[in-house]
Amino acid sequence: MTIERYCAPRTLDEALEILRAGPVSPFAGGTDLMPQSQAGRVRLAPVLMNLRRIEGMGGIAENDGVVRIGALTTMTQLMDSAVVRERLNILWQACDHFASDQLRNAGTLGGNICNASPAGDTLVPLLVLDARVELAQKPNGRIETRKLPLAEFLLGPGRTTRAPQELLSAIEIPLPAEGFYGAFFKLGTRPALDISAISIGLGALHDDGCLRSVRIAFGAVAPTAIRAARAEAELEGRLLDQDVIDAAVQAADTEIHPISDLRASGWYRREMVCNMLRRMLEDARSH
Amino acid sequence: MAELRAKTSPQGSDPARGSLIGKRIPKMDAPDKASGRTRYIHDINLPGQLHAKILRSSERHAKIVSIDTRAAKALPGVHAVITAADVPWQRPIGVAKDHLPLKTDRVRSLRDEIAAVAADSVEIAEEALGLIRVDYAPLPVLTDPVAALAPDAPRIHPAPQGADGGPSLKPGLPVAYTGKPDNVAMVMEYAQGDVAAGEAGSALVVEDVFRLHYVTHCCLGVSGVIAEFDPSGNLLLYSNTQVPFLHKREFAELLDIDPGRVRIIQPPIGGGFGSKLDIYPFEPIAIFLAKITGRPVKLVFTREEEFLASPTRQPVLLKLRSGCTKDGVLTFREVETLHDNGAYTSWGATTPFVMMQTVSSLYRVPHCRYRTRAVYTNNPYAGSFRGYGNLQATFAVEAHMDRLAEALGIDPLEFRLKNAQDPGEVTPQGMHFKTCGLKDCLRTAAERGDFLRKHAANRARWSDGDPVKRGVGMASMLHVGGGAKIYPSDGCGTILKIDDFAHVTLITGASEIGQGSETVLAQLVCEELGLPLSAVTVVNNDTDITPWDVGVHASRTTFIAGNSAIGAARKAKDKILALASSKCGDAAEALDLAEGCVVKKATGERVFELAKLIRSLHFSDKAELVMTTHYYEPPSVHQDKQFKGDVSAAYAWATQVCEVEVDTRTGIVRLVKVTGAHDVGRVLNRLGIEGQIEGGIVMGQGYALTENLMVEDGWVRNPNFRDYKLVTAPEIPEIDVSFIETMDGEGPQGAKGVGEAPAICIAAAVANAIYNATGVRLTSLPFTPERVYRALHGAAQPLEWNVPQ
Ligand SMILES: Cc1cc2nc3c(=O)[nH]c(=O)nc-3n(C[C@H](O)[C@H](O)[C@H](O)COP(=O)(O)OP(=O)(O)OC[C@H]3O[C@@H](n4cnc5c(N)ncnc54)[C@H](O)[C@@H]3O)c2cc1C
Repeated sequence: MTIERYCAPRTLDEALEILRAGPVSPFAGGTDLMPQSQAGRVRLAPVLMNLRRIEGMGGIAENDGVVRIGALTTMTQLMDSAVVRERLNILWQACDHFASDQLRNAGTLGGNICNASPAGDTLVPLLVLDARVELAQKPNGRIETRKLPLAEFLLGPGRTTRAPQELLSAIEIPLPAEGFYGAFFKLGTRPALDISAISIGLGALHDDGCLRSVRIAFGAVAPTAIRAARAEAELEGRLLDQDVIDAAVQAADTEIHPISDLRASGWYRREMVCNMLRRMLEDARSH
Repeated sequence: MAELRAKTSPQGSDPARGSLIGKRIPKMDAPDKASGRTRYIHDINLPGQLHAKILRSSERHAKIVSIDTRAAKALPGVHAVITAADVPWQRPIGVAKDHLPLKTDRVRSLRDEIAAVAADSVEIAEEALGLIRVDYAPLPVLTDPVAALAPDAPRIHPAPQGADGGPSLKPGLPVAYTGKPDNVAMVMEYAQGDVAAGEAGSALVVEDVFRLHYVTHCCLGVSGVIAEFDPSGNLLLYSNTQVPFLHKREFAELLDIDPGRVRIIQPPIGGGFGSKLDIYPFEPIAIFLAKITGRPVKLVFTREEEFLASPTRQPVLLKLRSGCTKDGVLTFREVETLHDNGAYTSWGATTPFVMMQTVSSLYRVPHCRYRTRAVYTNNPYAGSFRGYGNLQATFAVEAHMDRLAEALGIDPLEFRLKNAQDPGEVTPQGMHFKTCGLKDCLRTAAERGDFLRKHAANRARWSDGDPVKRGVGMASMLHVGGGAKIYPSDGCGTILKIDDFAHVTLITGASEIGQGSETVLAQLVCEELGLPLSAVTVVNNDTDITPWDVGVHASRTTFIAGNSAIGAARKAKDKILALASSKCGDAAEALDLAEGCVVKKATGERVFELAKLIRSLHFSDKAELVMTTHYYEPPSVHQDKQFKGDVSAAYAWATQVCEVEVDTRTGIVRLVKVTGAHDVGRVLNRLGIEGQIEGGIVMGQGYALTENLMVEDGWVRNPNFRDYKLVTAPEIPEIDVSFIETMDGEGPQGAKGVGEAPAICIAAAVANAIYNATGVRLTSLPFTPERVYRALHGAAQPLEWNVPQ
């Protein structure tokens, strides 16, 4: 496949116009797109559009209890942000476990989301944080946007509800209450530069030995990163004792559908989800 | 004149005075490499050069019915598309000459070369590959080496046939290859003593099956070659080979020309580790294309190709049976291995050479039997790789040292000390250990690693509820340290010239592949001549200039090329001192060279400035140059047919203690610390040897814990660095290395070879450490989290020896 045109629009408006005209491969950091097209797993469209020059599609801002993160924000920028570190710490932890410095400098949050890998490391904390995605398009001369919960955006490996003429413009995260506890766990063969064999996100508010607003998400054990509603329900408002932890782990076991691949067998993934969720809940209890 | 790689060490890095031996000397090529100035083969482009690409098989085992190259040939920018039909004069290559560069009648693995293109650019060549149509008739696929021995197994190398059923290699053509009646590529057997008697005299016998996996070298500089013919038909190759002089001859044979007409220039090589010891199809293919097009042809692998089409470490299934008396004296060892040879035979099949040495001679064992069968399959094929079978053999032998010790209730250190070799020993295999620091290695590593205390303490924690366990394990190794006489000569030549400014050019046959040989050779010469390192330029990469050397392998270069360089330097020194003596009247024996001068030995008083003295010789009526040559041949012998003989001029020893942390909830094993003690003879360049040992340890760590070329049914599933996991910086353990200096009498300044040693024991020591942490013994590599977790939770498949006799 040869690329017929390369473009690097400066504005969202211009970019959406190019997208409307036609099959386009948008790329941000290129850290997924390039290896995937080289390996022949993704066919590049005739037009390659670099998103990185678009003004206003990056940056992290807090407004009215909502943190808005531009799709072009890199992992490094997330890690450097005080809001992310202090209020969305679970996302910060995931960035800390993400690949390597070089990849963190290039890879974007928008790219991680649109790539929709079941093992995408930011998806798990974003699900825990009830993030919403904002999509923009320009169907008839005017920019139109829509917002939807991340969980509805993700359809399957590499598949989302993004229409071809849409761009992911931003991610919005409602600020969790003060004291919100968040923990991210990632399992790989080595501590750096590895794709998750499984990952787990846990978020909750501590209340007198109980957990409230419990949110649990898993990566790499289903076609998309998923929330574990049944496990959350087992924990919600209950005193976090051994029985409750057992029940939550058992519930989680019913919510995952791990496959066997290069990184791990389905059996091992299931064992790890159970063992590590248990450990994380025990850690949360003593926190 | 083609580009020469000549390097001079940066000014000012030399110690002002005194001996250079044991000093920390930066590598001469480091500034260029660190500043991106090094010109690797990738950076070399010749005028008029074409770019080549190879079409590889998409079938694991099939007959080639037809190949249609018409569309590819018609593509603008394409200069040649060749298949076996275009080079009927091609000859089989490789260790067993069972491998035609371009396949005629059948493909035997996914890497098999079917056609090749030379074009104006890499992109055009790639596009042309896509236009070649190949029709295959699939054959039954054989990827299980055990199944390869079954009487009704598909044959991988029947007599070669063309599409018409007739012989594809026409009579009268110089192809020696006639096929194989069964799938056994090679058998190697060794015996000493009487194993039955040894077993009868044993109080204790243990037996296990071990499985060693595929890993690959991961040279950062991928494989590549540039081939060019001059109008007279002389061949010039820019090649990353580790054996330029052997290849010169092989390429000449391939082309049926005089070897004198082949010249090999080695640009700086981005890593070898043994991978570049054999000829691989891509090299003849580039030569064919250069011959056919009359243009220089460059062929450089992509990273994916490097994973798919460069050799691997030899995968092995190994059964070991060992015994000892009730007092802990080893009685016998019996080893049988099945080597998966893959589709063709390269050096991997010959790893038993080294494996049997470890079995017979790492410790004293009176009775041994060893047998390897290497069988053809449709898998990738294995070459030589740092350690050459020794990682595999040591893994098994050292597991049994721990098992026997435990069963007897003796600690692992004492058990090893009881059976360790001593200096002076001649083993039943004929190896003569003139120096041997094994016992010092054992004691030093154990003491510095606090082995005995930790070993006992960890064991006591097996059932204490903590999910995170600690363990220590030890393993030792024996490896050749003074070359290895596997060819009639194991020698190396040197030409040394001192110009009229007392600048030395050291022209050595020894290849530099990143190991630091040019620095250590320059250092040895400076030590003899009393010159600073800045006074030496090393020339080591052009067969038209450099004298013969057998190649860079078997940890031999410092030892062999070092002795050769010292020999040449001593001859130059003799000449200079004789001249000085004739001028000043003092006896030559009373004079010495130091700090660029001739000095009186007794007082250090300067007599002549060296540069001036040499000028006076050169520009005199005698008009003589100081230029010497030396060829060093080590006093080792070729092993006999029973594999007996003193194959190396010296032997290297080491013990490594590994400390691990095992998370029993995940199976993650963290290598916390490696305490090594290495008998290196003598430390020459301290900085260099530390780098070599640390690098080797990390390579051994990858073999033990993370690296795994996943070959499933003949497919390589992870041909990329994302899924083939090298060790990265955060995982590198604390490393504590002690040098045991046994001052080998034959070694250059007392040194022994050390290149392969540090990688050899890590996996064995880690296995012993995991056992010490958890009470679970793993016999399959690598120790990835899932494999360890399965073993800890009783969910691992036990290994069986189901290999037909
Ligand atoms: C060596 C290596 C290690 C890695 N390690 C990790 C890891 O540890 N964890 C992890 O989660 N991932 C990892 N990845 C994957 C990758 O780096 C991440 O998914 C990264 O976030 C992708 O971002 P990007 O900006 O590079 O995306 P790109 O490659 O530029 O794009 C990815 C996809 O999203 C589309 N896209 C990008 N931005 C937009 C947008 N704004 N609107 C619409 N579509 C868009 C592109 O068209 C493409 O299909 C690794 C990759 C490599 C090569």
